[in-house]
Order: sequence, then C-alpha cells, then structure tokens
Amino acid sequence: MREFDYLEPASVEEASRMLAEAGDACRVIAGGTALLLAMRQRMATPAQVVSLAKLDRLRGIDFDAHQGLRIGALSKHSDVERSPLVQEHFPMLASMAGRVANPQVRNQGTLGGNLCYADPATDPPGCLMALGASVVLGSARGERVLPIADFLVDYYTTALEADELLLEIIVPPQADGSVGLYSRFRRTTAEHRPLVNFSVTTHRRGQVCEQALLVVGASTPIPTRAARAEEFLAGKTVTADIAAQAADMVAADIEPLSDPRGTAEYRRDMVRVVARRAIADLFGLSTD
Amino acid sequence: MSKHHLHLSVNGQAQSLEVPSRRLLCDLIRDDLNLTGTKRGCETGTCGACSVLVEGEVVKSCLSLAVQADGCDIMTIEGMAADGEPHPLQQCFMDLGGLQCGYCTPGFLMTSFALLKNNPKPTESEVRAGLSGNLCRCTGYTQIVESVMAAAEKMRGN
Repeated sequence: MREFDYLEPASVEEASRMLAEAGDACRVIAGGTALLLAMRQRMATPAQVVSLAKLDRLRGIDFDAHQGLRIGALSKHSDVERSPLVQEHFPMLASMAGRVANPQVRNQGTLGGNLCYADPATDPPGCLMALGASVVLGSARGERVLPIADFLVDYYTTALEADELLLEIIVPPQADGSVGLYSRFRRTTAEHRPLVNFSVTTHRRGQVCEQALLVVGASTPIPTRAARAEEFLAGKTVTADIAAQAADMVAADIEPLSDPRGTAEYRRDMVRVVARRAIADLFGLSTD
Repeated sequence: MSKHHLHLSVNGQAQSLEVPSRRLLCDLIRDDLNLTGTKRGCETGTCGACSVLVEGEVVKSCLSLAVQADGCDIMTIEGMAADGEPHPLQQCFMDLGGLQCGYCTPGFLMTSFALLKNNPKPTESEVRAGLSGNLCRCTGYTQIVESVMAAAEKMRGN
C-alpha cells in the first residue's frame, strides 16, 4: 500500500472542504473493508485518506412514524441487522443486512460506504430501492436529498459531487398491508457476493397484488426496476403461473452484466428463477 | 505520510505507540506488539485467519488500518485463555480435532468466541453461517462445527 496522509475532520463542513481541496488525490474511508483492498492492490492510490470516524452526524439509527427510518451512513451492516427498530418496521432490510458478506465484514463495513462504493455485486442497493429509500448528501454548501435510484449512476459511480458526503439513508414508512422480501442467489454458498438479487415490496390484499415494486440487483450495473412486470402484477390474483409470467418479464427486460463470475445468459436465467420464487414466496405459494 | 499516536487496550493491557497511517491492524498486532498468534493469511479479507475482536465484535484485522482502532479495546487469541487454563472453545477444538495444521485456528477461535457471546445456544446452521468468513483448508469444517457446538454446551454449564 502506498503512503498517504490520514485526516480526521471533526465536522461535515471541514470534511467537505478537505475533499474539495484534494480532489482526485483523496479518498474517503468509513469502515475501510472495500477501500483498503483497492488501495493494497493499488487500484486506488490516494495521497490523502479522509476518515469520517469523528462525524457524529453520520451515526445512529432512528425511526419516526411520519419520517420513517433514518440510518446514519456510518452504521455498520451488523448495526442495521440487529437494530430493533429496523427489525420491527423493516424486517426485509434487517434480513438483507444480516446476509451481507460475512460476519466480520458486517461488523466493519458501513451501509454508507457500501452505497458510495457502488459495487454492483452487493446486497443493500436493490433492497433499499424496493423500499423507496433516499439518501441525504451533505457538503459545506448545504444538503440535498436524492432517491437512491438517482444516487446510483453506473458501475462504481454515484451522483456524489467531489465535496459531498453521504450523511444518512432515509427509508419512508411503508403503507399498511405492505410486505416485502429480499432474495438472492450465490453461485456457491462460499461466495460472499450475490450473483443475482431480487427485492420485492407489494401492497397485498389476500392473494391480490394491488401494487408491486420489483428490483433486480447485482446482475446489472445498478439495480433495475422491472416496470413491465410491476404493471402486469398490479391488480392480479397471484398464482404460481402469474408469478412465473412476471418473472419471465423481469428476466427478459434486464441487460445483465457478463463477467468471470457469470455470463449474461446465466445471470438472466438465475434472475428468472429468483424472481419467480420470491414473488411466489411472498404470496405464500409453493415454489416447486 | 502522517504518523499517529495511538492509545489502545490489547487483551486488557494499555498500549501506547506511534504508527504510520498505512500500518494495518494485523501488522500492529504482530509486528509492533509481537502478538503473533494472530495470523496473516490471504491479506485480502477472504480467509479470516487475522480475525480479532475490536470493541467486542469480530473483525478482519487485515481490512482495518491500525489508526482506525485508536481508543479501542482489542482482544487477540493471546487473551482467550484465563489463568493459564484453555478457554472451553480451545479445549473443545483440541479434544474434538477442530484443527489440523492449525494456521486458521486462532481466527476460527476468535470468530467462535464472538459468535457464542452473541448467541450462546446456536444451531448447527447458525454456527456454519457464523463461521462463513473463515476458511480452513484441512478439516472440511465438520469437526470445527462440532467443537463450537460442544463448547457452547460446556459454556452453558452442561
């Protein structure tokens, strides 16, 4: 690992000014699980590493019935997994957080860091998108809120400006009768990164799907909403056959990544399987 | 390159030392403190041989800068046995053959220690999930899982 200066700003404003001044020569460190790997492989060679550890504004998990859930960007995956508030109000999110990487990384890696790194082969972004989450970005110039779909721009690329930090993640309260499921497929159980994931939230009345939000992740550069399948499901009584038809649409409508971890066609096939099973599961149907 | 004066507690002992910013936590433990029970394996966050407890939670010390641990309470494998007696986990790994070459063992013990602290009565599948961040290339894991299950029972006083 190349040499660097490690800086510990005491406020968001100070951090923002450091980032603005250093430009591309600097990287932000939260948990460090991804950044240190990149630095040790010299894929990233920052002259300055700016730590967020002293920024209390980025800590804590709170819930308010009107505002929803606020997750400070420095919350670790294990904080999200174990939070009674997340478990009570967003069980889908707690369940997802409990599956990220492995126990050690969940104790080190942060939700904010995960989103800012924007690696496609991960769990949180798609799940958050299906929950309608937004992110709050801050700099010395002020704050702004972006839906997660606008924050994630492309493969390892976000809408963060050079002087901005991700401060917190906001998940709006879910409507009564809304249920959700996060599901994923790994090529082998020893893998820590999903090849495919699928997040679904629906308003359900008995077996009728009044509204659905379907998101494919890990197989596309950024998580992708399955709009055609969402429209197809709206108002339908969900049977195993309807779930299969919706899954076919989901799989047909994505443009999968193709890389050494999985070809585009393999990913498309697995998206179809995971989507069908997740929709069927959510409606209490047999997946056999 | 910036240097940092760190104050931390390692296995209950206060430590105060200066490190360069790029010093990894595993290197601080092994090279600065000479606690060589913690192993460097893959050094890419995959194998878990370098697992230690920071503030009571298990992390991979090759994925952490030493400076990130400033002010923290750290426990390494050297801090596991009390009063010269092996910890029940260590005894069960020995009794039940939870190791062969032994290189991954400190990491497995630290991860198991954290696992049982958070979940004193795990199922076998919870043990397997809890150990999913540690690799062993000798045992095939069966005896490791058995060792952890046996230690859990012993620690519950059965």
